[in-house]
Amino acid sequence: MNNTVLELKNISYKYKNDLILNKINLKINSGEKIALLGKSGSGKTTLISVLNGTIKPTQGEVKLFNKNFEELDRKQKSKITTIWQDLRLIEDLSAEQNVNCGLLAKNNFYFAFKNLLNISSFKKAHKYMQLCRLHNSIYDKKIRQLSGGQKQRVAIARSLIQGSNILLADEPFNNLDPKLITTIKNLMLESIDKNNTKKSPKTALVSLHRLDLLNDFDKVIGIRDGKIFFNIKRNNLKKIHLDKIY
Amino acid sequence: MNKLKLNYTSLSFLPILVCIPLGYQLINNIHFGGLKLFQEFLISAFNPKIDNEIIITIIKRLNETILIGLFSWLVSIIFGAIFGIISSNIFYKIFNIPNFLYRIIRFFLTIIRSIHEVVWGILLIQIYGINFSIGILAISIPYIAINSKVFAEQLETIDYKSFESINQINAPKFSSLLTLIWNPIINTFKNFGLYRLECSIRSTVILGFFGVGGIGTSIFLSFQTLNFRELWTYLWSLAILIILSGLIFKKIKFNTANKILSIFFIAVFFITILFSFSYFIYFIFNNNFENFNSFSFLFKSSSDLGLFDFLKLILETIILSLLSTGIAISFPPLVIGIFNNNTSKIFIKIFAFLLRLIPTPVILLTLLTFNNPSISLAALTLGLHNAGITSKLLFTNLDSQDKRNYIAMKSLGISKKTSWLLGLFSQQAKSYLAYCAYRSDIIIRETAIVGVIGSVGLGWQLQESLSSFAWQEVAIVMIAYSSIAIVGELINGKIKNSLT
Repeated sequence: MNNTVLELKNISYKYKNDLILNKINLKINSGEKIALLGKSGSGKTTLISVLNGTIKPTQGEVKLFNKNFEELDRKQKSKITTIWQDLRLIEDLSAEQNVNCGLLAKNNFYFAFKNLLNISSFKKAHKYMQLCRLHNSIYDKKIRQLSGGQKQRVAIARSLIQGSNILLADEPFNNLDPKLITTIKNLMLESIDKNNTKKSPKTALVSLHRLDLLNDFDKVIGIRDGKIFFNIKRNNLKKIHLDKIY
Repeated sequence: MNKLKLNYTSLSFLPILVCIPLGYQLINNIHFGGLKLFQEFLISAFNPKIDNEIIITIIKRLNETILIGLFSWLVSIIFGAIFGIISSNIFYKIFNIPNFLYRIIRFFLTIIRSIHEVVWGILLIQIYGINFSIGILAISIPYIAINSKVFAEQLETIDYKSFESINQINAPKFSSLLTLIWNPIINTFKNFGLYRLECSIRSTVILGFFGVGGIGTSIFLSFQTLNFRELWTYLWSLAILIILSGLIFKKIKFNTANKILSIFFIAVFFITILFSFSYFIYFIFNNNFENFNSFSFLFKSSSDLGLFDFLKLILETIILSLLSTGIAISFPPLVIGIFNNNTSKIFIKIFAFLLRLIPTPVILLTLLTFNNPSISLAALTLGLHNAGITSKLLFTNLDSQDKRNYIAMKSLGISKKTSWLLGLFSQQAKSYLAYCAYRSDIIIRETAIVGVIGSVGLGWQLQESLSSFAWQEVAIVMIAYSSIAIVGELINGKIKNSLT
């Protein structure tokens, strides 16, 4: 449990003249489930983008499995998966094609080609779409034809199908109805084996707004104005902590 | 005194002022020697020659035209897509390639695009001799560059967030590239592909005038022998081909969800690439290049072209482009606005169709029957042909426009012409001008055709230099042509951006 999988050392990120992240130090250990709390604009999305390598920090080091991010090869980098706040699905592709995109890292060019021609197998994609409670009538629908909630679940299915060890999620429960949230949250926090049963717990960092969803998390990080204000066990979270960041 | 206020509507009519110098020169150059020929030309339109022999020739010539058009289209659309990909910024982002390479490729394609297929045609004929494949090559070379620009522009619209998302999956780079570009490429092909096929066929007809074969060659030979009845038989058969292909194109729908069709397209894609490469190798190794043994020719040949004459030719080409563009912009709204009734509309549409149908060399040669060669005559030809194209767009847009403003204005007692101008045209003026800016790029390139036939500008000089194998002059003229087209494209690009 104590193996550090992700580490941020003195990370700062400046955009134009604004300091978005300010000297952040963070260690994420294997199997930890962390909730990231903070107001809109506090730097949560930027922090996630730095963690998955999309944004290069202005200062500091990002380490994945004790190696600098730049030194990692493609396969090592693919051990992180992200559910973006704005989903970032490919609008012109169907829901099942988008979910299959999650398998691109583990397959060759021919698979990508077959996926676009609609001649690849969608078996695995359908399994994950079912797990995310997506009805089979929407499998071949284009993303632009889906509702907000359906799009959200396609993005989650695409992320889960990657089978990555580390999950980063930026407000993944937006657009979902309350009944679905629990199902999706459980799916996200535990890996799934071939028989559709839950296996070992995942390492996850999930940014949230709703405090009632904190139950299944081990730790809570509070961020404000690009600075980490607290990084504590969930059981130790008190109102005083929340007052600092909200 | 009130200041003159320019808006999009008035800007659409202002270029008609080019008719003042143009009309003055045309009136001065008028002669009546060929009036009888002109009369005969017009009458023959209603009395084309029809017999077994000509029908067999038409079938043979149309076959050649379709074959050259189809092959050059296939090659140019496929290689256009490939060059479009390697000249789009998404390619460089995915593969982390330095951006300067992207600029070099784009610049190279801009130069190739700036030279008209007719110029490529006469250049290749001079080097290689008359050959069926010259038509395909002459069209494919600039068309690949034109198509690549369209594909690249579409690829630039890919959402950066989609790129980041696919990038974050850490898929193999080629898989990421393919996934991102697939739909923009397919959509461009769907929206633009068949239009380019029509362009290829039209270019084949024009190149036929310079000997590459097809119906264009027959049209030119009929004109040279003043056999107008035969000429009109070819023109009407060409009209039938264009109308029929237009109807077929409207019916064709590319369904990419159809797996068999998709696999067929992929097969055509790879076969075309393999065929093109093998043909290219064959072309290189089985060619004696009679008149162009090596690049040293370029330096051995001398140039008799004086600086003053050369600058004069450049100026002539620029003036020719400006005058033609002026006619192409202002003529359609002016004529449609003045003759604003249903019967006139039908006649204008037929006239515009004829202007699009009849190749520019034929229009020019016909006008030469009663007017001496001049910049004005060449500009009138090019302007009228392009006015036929701009008027088609204007009619389509006006017909699909909401007419409530127009009806409301008429009900207030405002005259029909004013209501049309303010209630209908004014709403189209901005997009019409944006299209005309795009069209003027093509007009600059097309000055080569009328230049060669009408003895004006750089086009004429190119023909002269090629005939005397003065390769240094050819190179200078080509550079000048290319520079004018590139500067024109830059200016028009700015205008288009401000209008859209």
